[in-house]
Amino acid sequence: MEILTNMAQGFSFVLGWQPILFIILGVIMGILAGAMPGLSPSMGVALLVPFTYAMTPTLALILLVSIYIAANYGGSITAVTINAPGTPSAVVTSFDGYPLTLQNKPGMGLGVSLVSSTIGGFIGTIILILFSVQLAKVAVKFHPAEYFALAIFGLTTVATLGGKNWVKAFVAAMFGLLINTIGIDPISGVSRFTFGSVNLYDGFSLIPALIGLFALSEVFKQIDEQNFKSKKIELEKTKWPTVLDYWKLKLTIVRSSIMGTLIGIFPGAGATIAAFISYDVAKRTSKEPEKFGHGSLEGVAAAEAANSSSVGGALVPLLTLGIPGSASTAVLIGALMIHDLTPGPQLFNNNPEIIYGLFASLLIANIVLLVLGLFGSRLWVKVTAVPKKILYPMIFTVSIIGSFAVRYSFFDIAACLGFGIFGWILRRYNYPVAPIVLGIVLGNIAETNFRRAVMMGDYTIFFTRPVSLILLILALVSFAWPILQNKIYNKKMQKTKNEN
Amino acid sequence: MKRISIYLFLIVLILTSCKKADDEFSFPKKPITIIVYTGPGGLIDITARKFADVASKYSEATFVVENKPGSGGIVAMKRLLQLPSDGYTLFACTKSNISKIVSTGGEAYIEGIDWAAMMMADPECIITHKKQNVNSWEDLVADAKTKDGDQLWLGPANGGLDHVTALKIWDEAGIKAKWIPFKSGGKARAALLGEQGVAYVGNPREVLGNDELQIAAVSSLERLPQFPDVPTFNEFGLTGLDNEFMWRGFVLKQGSPPEISKWYDELFTKVNNDPEWREYWERGGIDVVYKNSKEFTEIVNKDKEQFTHYLQKIGIINTQATNLLAKLATGKTLNFLVIFCIVILLIIWYIINRSTNRKYLAGIMLPLFFIALSIVFFLVSYTFPNNEKVGPSVVPRLWILILIPLNIFLIIDIVSKKKEIEKNAGNQTVVWGFIGLLVLYLFSIFYIGYFISSFVFLFVGIYMLGYRKYLTMLMISAGWLLFSYLIFYKLLYVPLPVGKLIEMLF
Repeated sequence: MEILTNMAQGFSFVLGWQPILFIILGVIMGILAGAMPGLSPSMGVALLVPFTYAMTPTLALILLVSIYIAANYGGSITAVTINAPGTPSAVVTSFDGYPLTLQNKPGMGLGVSLVSSTIGGFIGTIILILFSVQLAKVAVKFHPAEYFALAIFGLTTVATLGGKNWVKAFVAAMFGLLINTIGIDPISGVSRFTFGSVNLYDGFSLIPALIGLFALSEVFKQIDEQNFKSKKIELEKTKWPTVLDYWKLKLTIVRSSIMGTLIGIFPGAGATIAAFISYDVAKRTSKEPEKFGHGSLEGVAAAEAANSSSVGGALVPLLTLGIPGSASTAVLIGALMIHDLTPGPQLFNNNPEIIYGLFASLLIANIVLLVLGLFGSRLWVKVTAVPKKILYPMIFTVSIIGSFAVRYSFFDIAACLGFGIFGWILRRYNYPVAPIVLGIVLGNIAETNFRRAVMMGDYTIFFTRPVSLILLILALVSFAWPILQNKIYNKKMQKTKNEN
Repeated sequence: MKRISIYLFLIVLILTSCKKADDEFSFPKKPITIIVYTGPGGLIDITARKFADVASKYSEATFVVENKPGSGGIVAMKRLLQLPSDGYTLFACTKSNISKIVSTGGEAYIEGIDWAAMMMADPECIITHKKQNVNSWEDLVADAKTKDGDQLWLGPANGGLDHVTALKIWDEAGIKAKWIPFKSGGKARAALLGEQGVAYVGNPREVLGNDELQIAAVSSLERLPQFPDVPTFNEFGLTGLDNEFMWRGFVLKQGSPPEISKWYDELFTKVNNDPEWREYWERGGIDVVYKNSKEFTEIVNKDKEQFTHYLQKIGIINTQATNLLAKLATGKTLNFLVIFCIVILLIIWYIINRSTNRKYLAGIMLPLFFIALSIVFFLVSYTFPNNEKVGPSVVPRLWILILIPLNIFLIIDIVSKKKEIEKNAGNQTVVWGFIGLLVLYLFSIFYIGYFISSFVFLFVGIYMLGYRKYLTMLMISAGWLLFSYLIFYKLLYVPLPVGKLIEMLF
């Protein structure tokens, strides 16, 4: 009951014209930031932080979390319409969202991604409000051995992603993992594979790699195939999902939202891993797994619900312990500090207006996102109608800003182009590029936690801790299962061929 | 009209040059940039912005904070040293930068920097978990002795200030323990809250807001006013640990005119005495102290010596390539090796391309590329020091050892089944032409800046793809120019490159 009174108070803080205006402003900016290839949620938040220094703490937080939430959704717009995911986590959305556009059903992809995003965001926030303190206690107990096992589990989703080309998918993932080791070793502090270049001390940044591998390589591929036809004529006929379509997805959305929130809680895991794992689980439990990768609505829903709900999860350790769970929340901590607020359990007692105001604004921001998104989707869908001959050069100029803005480095622009060319060559010869992104995201988590765990105990630690053992067994099963399934399927096909 | 504007321009030019000829000292004539080596929102970023805020009370100058993240400050320092020493660039610096300089062999940076002012110091301290049995300094020492080297200390990266402080504490107290590095102090603190280790090294501010954490001992001469119950190392009879602290300050490039140095000295002193400035930091347990250039330089040199000593001890610097394979992967032999791999790949390319098996070209070349890359990386991994149970070379080699067999499998698969047929080539020439255009675009961004280059690129790019409505093309190029300038450059302060040539002209 206490929570209800607190929340009522929280809403009373937020339901003024000024906070609402800031939420609307934040959502609009967040959608735009997320949709631009290369402006990830954390960068969208970071770019706006300097503006908030002059605001009151509550307003500043409201604006920043609205951007954070909306940017997580915004990434899916370009993922669906032009196969250029605006954020790392939207990579997963593009697996099924873009095929929908190719089938001239962009409205289905955009509609499902919007609704799953907002429901996911809502569920994530509710879990945050109700269970944050208890969940934080579990999160800090998560041992490096378990983080390692989680990362390995995440890696096994490659087996699902690869499908027929699973060997090539694994080559791509290993390549991602290997280039992720470039830079200063986070454990020992020595520089690895930098070949004396200062630019490589931090390794390749994820964002330029992502833009190159997806947005640029997609454009190269389209130019290569001379695909310049836009779908202008059929725009009016675009189908939008009906209530029945959404109802069919209820299980997938709820399950993915809960998983996304839980994965988001663990500092360092975050939206991208949440999206990959939820997608994997959705495919395994689906009645129509063969549709995944070819425009499955469940796939879009799973990815978007997971990455949006992870926002709520990432705020759990931030608010209850003062520890950032993601890059975006790390920026939020700075924003709290500039206003002289120390995040942590005492913040709940000392400044409840901020905490509950934040909770209320999260809920409202999701509603605003849904409303703006419903209007906006009619607009986004027009992106597919822009003449491709104009759109493709534009994608390059936008991508360059995106990759430059990560750390204002020229090297990153060049790296982005390099990844673009390499990604195009790989895709030409049926190597999926998504596993490279997964490798770059997971490499650091897998390696540092593996070594940390061994330092804290020895090699047996991964099997003596029950949670880590369970995760590893799950990983093994989920690794072997799709490959076996594929083999069995192939044999069946051969049999039927022979019988014919 | 045109003529008048030219005359006006000339008059302005003459006037400004007259003003320059004036010997009278006036500083600053333009905004002063403060370079911050992290993204917005970090503690040092906040320090810089707060400083800009307070300093504007005492001077007419405008301060602009510019974030230049990368390589623990090396990128930002490089930028500082590239700019002229005219006093218009400050660098917000912390002790961590010294550790980075030492570990990357960049001693020249220390010489090139005028260590203008140290503004604050955070004493280092040991933080423990209240609910654990081991939570006071005495407990820690006793526990370390029984565990004999297996006691776990948590903190941020190896070789950083907190790690070196821990090493020094162990030396002084005569105990042994294990340092478990985390990606950030926050993550290590989370692990302490999860009772995965017994101690965390950081600064006192980090216990604020969390009831479960406490400070076991602090490295300062006297007890801190904000934490009167926390004992110092002195009280436990440890003498060498009364002055371990994290400092933050502002530095200039060496060689600015003496008037400018004097101007800054006065400004720093005023800010240091400002009650708003002091109150803001002291509430968080941060010592606001001011050290002038001379004292600060001494501190920096001492820090450098200490870091050099400990970083050598733990093997981060001074690693000699002793092993034969390691020698193979350094310097000229490495270059030779890389060139050798490329040549081999090209020869194989050529042979397959000429043979009847041309259709398997790509199927074989890509795995071969991955294998060559793996071999080079594998050899280079022998140059890493191996001083831990799982050294820095273990995991990369693990990935390589999975990558190579997978690729061999792919090659065998193609050669034996012979079913992979190269995709029907589309219009690759246009793609390569486009890539060439992009490379040109990159170069032109470097020289004439993002805005002009993007304008030209959009126009040429759209033309190249076969679009011919010139007015639309012009409007799109100009529209993007305006949009990117207003939104990104002006509103969001993304410092898009203006171009070397343009910078030189203006």
